[in-house]
Amino acid sequence: MAHLVGGLGTSHIPSIGVALDRGQDTGDEWKPFFDGYDFPKSWVAEQKPDIAVVIFNDHGNVMFLDRLPTFALGVAERYEPVDEGWGPRDIPDFEGAEDFSWFLADKMVERHFDPMIAREIEVDHGLQVPMELFFGRPIEAWPVRVVPIWVNTLQYPIPTPQRCWELGKVLREAIDTFPGDDRVVVMGTGGLSHQLQGARAGFINRDADREWLETIGSNPERWTSMSREDYVEVFGSEGAELIMWLVMRGCMNSKVSLKHKHYVVPTSMTGAGCVVLENC
Amino acid sequence: MPEIPDSPMFDREGAIRGYRLNKMAMALSTPENRAAFLDDEAAFLDRFQLDVETREAVVNRDWQEMIRLGGNLFYILKLSAIDPIPLIHIGAAQAGMSPERFKRERLGEKQWHT
Repeated sequence: MAHLVGGLGTSHIPSIGVALDRGQDTGDEWKPFFDGYDFPKSWVAEQKPDIAVVIFNDHGNVMFLDRLPTFALGVAERYEPVDEGWGPRDIPDFEGAEDFSWFLADKMVERHFDPMIAREIEVDHGLQVPMELFFGRPIEAWPVRVVPIWVNTLQYPIPTPQRCWELGKVLREAIDTFPGDDRVVVMGTGGLSHQLQGARAGFINRDADREWLETIGSNPERWTSMSREDYVEVFGSEGAELIMWLVMRGCMNSKVSLKHKHYVVPTSMTGAGCVVLENC
Repeated sequence: MPEIPDSPMFDREGAIRGYRLNKMAMALSTPENRAAFLDDEAAFLDRFQLDVETREAVVNRDWQEMIRLGGNLFYILKLSAIDPIPLIHIGAAQAGMSPERFKRERLGEKQWHT
């Protein structure tokens, strides 16, 4: 059966990708941010995952309001980077783990999750940036196949934090029963606190971000017991993206060890950072 | 959803009110449409049948007003690819502050730790 090697949580801010495109990752402004990803990168290289399940939201780049799924699952052979308005970024396409994607589609529907199944679709910075942060930017091909899961965090009603957690449980069941010996890493992305819209724009909650990074491993109940409104209030309107980390955390054992955490604030207009979690 | 002060949730009200505005912005995802916008902004906007105040907000790049009229930041941000403006200036405009004051009072001093 497939094996879950661990869970990663990270911000997916577009300006991280821009900094990489411009070679600014070692400059004064960005170095503190990227330095915090040295450990996660070496951890990933050591774990050698075959499949990366990436939970993220589209930012109005491949999905419009004409038809917006609450959950969508990619089952494509490959995913190209989408043009977000500045032209597509010069990074390799992502090879899809078609076999696991279809297996997960069956499992999700069996367990009463009914995602949109996407066969031909591009991916925005929500997937690109976490992949670059954890795998480094390859010249020709990514060293892993991907399974994208999109969560609507753009238009209300967005799914509840509890629903995201339950999706993690189903994802785990799929990993544990998938024939073969693939090694799977699960990446929950988005956040941390930020708000881009309204008169409260620029809202950042440093204390809440630190508590999130410190306790998402040890005390997820602290975060699954909150409502969507609580997320908006505590983490800002776009900081509510953090519910997607709950898919990753829900996928893991009840006891996990926090191997690494990192926090840099402000990064662009957000609190930014990552965690590396391993099952106990 | 209960109201959270100064935090417009993008719900049915905004989705309905801002549909055409967001659709116009989404169209800027292609190089052809970006070229058309740059070539003749008025003609490009004509295609989307925006109401008068929405059209005026777009023409004036009035970010606060575009959001008030149901624009969602992720769509209307595509205007900043055509008419460049840093994200922090868009945030500051909505907060009603200068970018300098916005950086100081909202985003705060840089800190990092592992």
